[in-house]
Amino acid sequence: MLLAALWIGLALAEKRTERHGISKETLNNIVYYSILGYILGGRVLYALSHFSAFAQSPFSLFSPSPDLFDPLAALMSSALVAFVYGQQQKLSLRPTLDALTPFFATLAIGLALAHLAEGTAFGSPTNSTWGVELWGATRHPSQMYELIASLLIFGLIWFRKTDSPPGVSFLTFAALAAAARLFLEAFRGDSMLIFGGLRLAQVVAWITLVAALALLESTFQRGKS
Amino acid sequence: MQQIQRRIIYSIILLLGLVWTFASADQLGTSTSGKIPAPQKGFLAPEFILKTPAGESVKLSDLRGQAVLVNLWATWCPPCRAEMQTIEKIYAEYKDQGFMVLAVNMTYQDDPSAIMPFVTEQGLSFPILLDETGEMANDYQLRSLPSSFFVDRNGIINEVVIGGPMAEALLRTRVEGILR
Repeated sequence: MLLAALWIGLALAEKRTERHGISKETLNNIVYYSILGYILGGRVLYALSHFSAFAQSPFSLFSPSPDLFDPLAALMSSALVAFVYGQQQKLSLRPTLDALTPFFATLAIGLALAHLAEGTAFGSPTNSTWGVELWGATRHPSQMYELIASLLIFGLIWFRKTDSPPGVSFLTFAALAAAARLFLEAFRGDSMLIFGGLRLAQVVAWITLVAALALLESTFQRGKS
Repeated sequence: MQQIQRRIIYSIILLLGLVWTFASADQLGTSTSGKIPAPQKGFLAPEFILKTPAGESVKLSDLRGQAVLVNLWATWCPPCRAEMQTIEKIYAEYKDQGFMVLAVNMTYQDDPSAIMPFVTEQGLSFPILLDETGEMANDYQLRSLPSSFFVDRNGIINEVVIGGPMAEALLRTRVEGILR
């Protein structure tokens, strides 16, 4: 599911990349190096954080198992690789992120479909008529909520006007994705809780939303001046 | 849109977001589903009572207080066969700390006469259980062999690994996770 989303997302991003001043080849290179950074970074950082286990069986480092992986470290590593590549190629950050936005929006749809297929990211128990039977209870169909939200966000990004200043497309996506997570996390049954019941994902989404809106505002101001 | 209008809208959105975050806080901790049996991380491991080839019954909940790896396997499944030696090694290393392995053979879709020769050939010392009806496989929503469920000392599934063979480091990190 995710591989299909990667492929479709890249194809869609390619279609419009040149309007952001980024060539198709550069866009492909960013994505491929980032995927490499994601895979290597996720595995190496997982191994470093479980050093004693890997020290006793070093060949496990080359195991094809996707479970020996740190997704957060992989994301950071992937972003770092993309940033270094962009610096080397002297790419401007905002147009590059705009060019990648359809790719990110498609990945979000792929992720929602993967959650739906696996039954992960499941909802909290509910009495509502649209609840679904999953994992021993009638639950909010949180994966469907996520899928609908990601499709709507993709539509808004894909069909929006294109005369805005560089960075607006990506920041709009970031703000919409954060807002959707902030709202929909409340219906999840697997939230990580902090400080007496606050959902960690909502706190992170709110902070992301603040940053995205502040940057959007400053981008509009820069565009005016 | 004017700058002032935009800022008002942004402020309202952020304020609503903050209110929603606090209003939807899960003070009762109902997000954790540790009391509901389901074959999923964070849930209570579904109960089963199965027999060993010698006819002894083993009940999962009797092992509460121990960290348990429930491994679903079959003799015809190459990755299941490939990971057994690693499981045996990790079992020998951690059993004194309260680690137990229940290797549940999918007997209803296996050749029963092939089970004990395989166990003897591999020198496996942990309990082998027989799922003769497929009921346990059904409760654990078996999708692929091997499937491994790492159950902590409270009977909660800490991790699910579908497919194999599991690398030694994977087993070690997951077992150390459920022994904590």
